[in-house]
Amino acid sequence: MSFKDILNSGKFVVTAEVGPPKGTDIKEMIHHIELLKGKVDALNVTDNQSAVMRICSMAVCRICLDHGVEPILQMTCRDRNRIGLQSDLLGANILNIKNVLCMTGDHVLAGDHKQAKPVYDLESVQLLSVVNSLNNGKDMSGNDLKGSTDFFQGAVVTPEANPLEPQLIKFEKKVRAGAKFFQSQAIYDINKFKEFMQYARKFPVKVLAGIVVLKSAGMANFINNNVPGIRVPQELIDELKAAGKDKALDTGLNIAARHIKQLKEENICDGVHIMAIGMEDKVPIIMERAGLL
Amino acid sequence: MIITKKREVQELMENIKNYKSFFLIGCSECASLCGTGNQEAIDALTEALKAEGKDVTGGFVPKTGCQVLGTKVELKPFKEALDKSDCILVMSCGAGTQAAVEIFEDKPVYPTNDSLFLGNMTRFQMFDERCSLCGKCILDKTGGICPVTACPKGILNGPCGGCKDGKCEVSPDIKCAWVRIYERMKRLDKLQELCDTVLEAKDWSQNIKPRTLATRPEKKEEKKK
Ligand code: SF4
Ligand code: SF4
Repeated sequence: MSFKDILNSGKFVVTAEVGPPKGTDIKEMIHHIELLKGKVDALNVTDNQSAVMRICSMAVCRICLDHGVEPILQMTCRDRNRIGLQSDLLGANILNIKNVLCMTGDHVLAGDHKQAKPVYDLESVQLLSVVNSLNNGKDMSGNDLKGSTDFFQGAVVTPEANPLEPQLIKFEKKVRAGAKFFQSQAIYDINKFKEFMQYARKFPVKVLAGIVVLKSAGMANFINNNVPGIRVPQELIDELKAAGKDKALDTGLNIAARHIKQLKEENICDGVHIMAIGMEDKVPIIMERAGLL
Repeated sequence: MIITKKREVQELMENIKNYKSFFLIGCSECASLCGTGNQEAIDALTEALKAEGKDVTGGFVPKTGCQVLGTKVELKPFKEALDKSDCILVMSCGAGTQAAVEIFEDKPVYPTNDSLFLGNMTRFQMFDERCSLCGKCILDKTGGICPVTACPKGILNGPCGGCKDGKCEVSPDIKCAWVRIYERMKRLDKLQELCDTVLEAKDWSQNIKPRTLATRPEKKEEKKK
């Protein structure tokens, strides 16, 4: 079953992430793909994440397919204009890449080529409507396509954004532009996320909660001070602190598993998106502890 | 106005090292407000050039340095000093420099400033970029705040995920353009309008360079030809 069908079937889905490396040595990446095969329902492939130049998302998506894992092509508007984006979308579609996550993309100043010219000819809302249009057999200029695409398109949302309301207005614009599923920024406060879901349930879209493993109290504090749109509640920081250095990571894995379990058991959302950020090998452990394997 | 920034003397000297005598042209408009092309700036550069052993044959602050014909007429009385110089230095923006290039076909013309952006003066000699002259204004849809310019990604439909506590992902020193637009629309009781408006991708064909415009009725036709 495809990711789209699984999601629409009502099963609690799990997606994870693979970050393409900088360079052509893909042994480790393939190891991670193999590790997650058969466990997750789909794998996001990041698009030059944090504006750091790496292998392109499309090539790695195709490699995922070759290894029997369904990919979600992350596509940002930072590096390609509307011609490049549409052309890559057509290319991805004929390579059998059917899921696309539309994002505006981190600014080039965040990355390792700060002198690059940022493109941003389109942004996430507009890219979603372009995908919609390609699915309906027309390009952005209204020209007919010889064969339309069949993408299942999604977007991202930040339920803990501050201020929240402008973010929600944008969420609704994404829904209207054709987003079928959302993967959220990392969430740690389930009650607050419940409130967001009460609102999001009004729309005909599927929502996957973002899960990022906390490795230590230090990491949690760093997130609170530096990462936009994520807030780790104090009681989780205390829990990690109490666990001590040796057990902090294990506690972090437990927290992630506990959250996933609650999200699933209370039917709060439609699935989770686990961002392991270099700890891909821990994803099966989290899933096991959450009772998903 | 056009915001200009004076080049470091060292950089300027390197560019003009092959010339000996100079005529300096400022501008009484933007470059004067920026302090890069007023009489004081001309005097200061004259001193600096002399200190480097160069000659200054004269200097002048025309009314509007980018106005080709007007500047040409204003410079007529300086013919002798201009003739004596072997290089013209223009202390306004890139448009002013190129007006001089048009006026002085046979003389090298060098800029002393870098031209930065179209800016608002917020306080004395403090400038902000608020409009990037995109060619098709959307301020009527965004509460009068330009996201093409104020958002480093030029996003047209709301804040990105990088907005942190109302500040922009790119710099904590600037407020997120979309939080500003949201707050203004809220104050004007126009949030519904903000929700309902999805802005399409911009038509960048309005921005293909070089752009020209003729608004004098009898000239419009000529331009078309
Ligand atoms: S939309 Fe912005 S850049 Fe374009 S003309 Fe209006 S203010 Fe200037
Ligand atoms: S934080 Fe706001 S102003 Fe900055 S890039 Fe994102 S949307 Fe634009």
